Amino acid sequence: MDKSVIVCKCEEVNIDEIETALKTGARHFDDVKRLTRCGMGPCQSKLCGGLVRRVISEYRNVSISEVEPPKKRMPISMIRLKALATDKEATKVISVFKESVSGVSRS
Amino acid sequence: MSRQYDVVVIGSGVVGSSIAYHLSERKTKKVAVIDKGFILTGTSGSTQAWVWVHNKTPSWYGELSMYSAELYPTLKKRIGDVEYKRTGGIAPFFDEKDREHALRLAEMQEKVGIDVKVLTREELLEKEPFLSEKAAGATYSDIDGNVNPFRLVELYTKAAKKNGVDFSFYNPVTEIRRDKGYYQIRTEKEGVFTAKQIVLAGGVWTGELGRMLDITIPVKQVRGQILVTEPLEPFIQTTIAGVRQAENGEVLIGYSKEEVGYNRQTTLDVMQETAGMALDYFPVLAEANVVRCFSGVRVIPKDGLPILGQIPGMENAYVAVTHSGVTLSPLIGTLMTELVMDRETSLDLSKMSLSRFERSAAGELIV
Repeated sequence: MDKSVIVCKCEEVNIDEIETALKTGARHFDDVKRLTRCGMGPCQSKLCGGLVRRVISEYRNVSISEVEPPKKRMPISMIRLKALATDKEATKVISVFKESVSGVSRS
Repeated sequence: MSRQYDVVVIGSGVVGSSIAYHLSERKTKKVAVIDKGFILTGTSGSTQAWVWVHNKTPSWYGELSMYSAELYPTLKKRIGDVEYKRTGGIAPFFDEKDREHALRLAEMQEKVGIDVKVLTREELLEKEPFLSEKAAGATYSDIDGNVNPFRLVELYTKAAKKNGVDFSFYNPVTEIRRDKGYYQIRTEKEGVFTAKQIVLAGGVWTGELGRMLDITIPVKQVRGQILVTEPLEPFIQTTIAGVRQAENGEVLIGYSKEEVGYNRQTTLDVMQETAGMALDYFPVLAEANVVRCFSGVRVIPKDGLPILGQIPGMENAYVAVTHSGVTLSPLIGTLMTELVMDRETSLDLSKMSLSRFERSAAGELIV
């Protein structure tokens, strides 16, 4: 197939770019993803997942079932930020300002 | 089969790959990098990648961060476009009472040459018109910015390869021995690597590498979770402590800390808190869509400060492990190369020595 064929439409990544990443030692979908951004766009690999795995499987000469899909993360589909937000007092999210100021009073 | 090198760097994260690149620029030693995964599979591939200076305390640590940030503009010429942007950095506060603390921080940082301004609400909103009016003010510095971490590590390794460095990926180190003045590094996939000098730059896994040499490298694993929005029109000008907008329009949001070992799951509670923080900062984000959350495990030395230098009592063995590896990577690469090649460094590393922890155990003060 023509190497300029776009595989990931969201980020406009073609076969050649995926193969170039594989050439540098990338092995898994997520390796290729971090180098090319394929699968990192709005669809989060829902459209390109199978195609990218096929390119990887052909390059590595393994069956497609041996190519792990990329790591799935929440939210599974897009969600408005206001729907996700909580106004409960944060316990794990912290303020950089407060952290640095506590450093000042310590020293 | 044995592979012979002058220097073996263990770890190809932002710190290890910068060290390898800077070593390779001298073009005098045969260098290899070994990694249990691939580039960007660990911490360096899961970060907001601020190049951040102005809030770093104690001030000598801020000063060190500043020197490193100063090296960023030239990196582009040396290794290619890492998409570094010196946007200026803002750390907002929401309580007017905090202004006093902010002024104190600015005063302290000024002593080491870091220019920190304390902004009024009006000055803040002039810089960031979409920021919440609930913000009382902020600390600000021109020196802060951000970089594309994917490009950064990729281009460090690419430049190092071009200079002849060998990389061995998906090849965990299983054993390190010292034999007749050489280090024998046994690996899972490619046998034994032999090196005159070794650099432990395993980031969050450096404690385990230390144990192979019977030394304690006290580091913590601290998880952070980040929300990613759909691409939005550019509306954030600077790098905000907690929020930044990438070149493609995505907004990266989050600053959380959890000690849960190597667990890289994302969790709904932290996502919700993070979204809450986003709205506290930028109410306009309410209608934006979140497409993903990711998490990374930071390495944080026990006292929060870099561990950099020769391993005490172990000739030709070095360690470079720190939080804020992205910010510090150009400087760490430079200093570790001086140490490994010239045996002396242009900046004093004694405060960062691993020996400070031993001194502490003996009842003396930590630096």
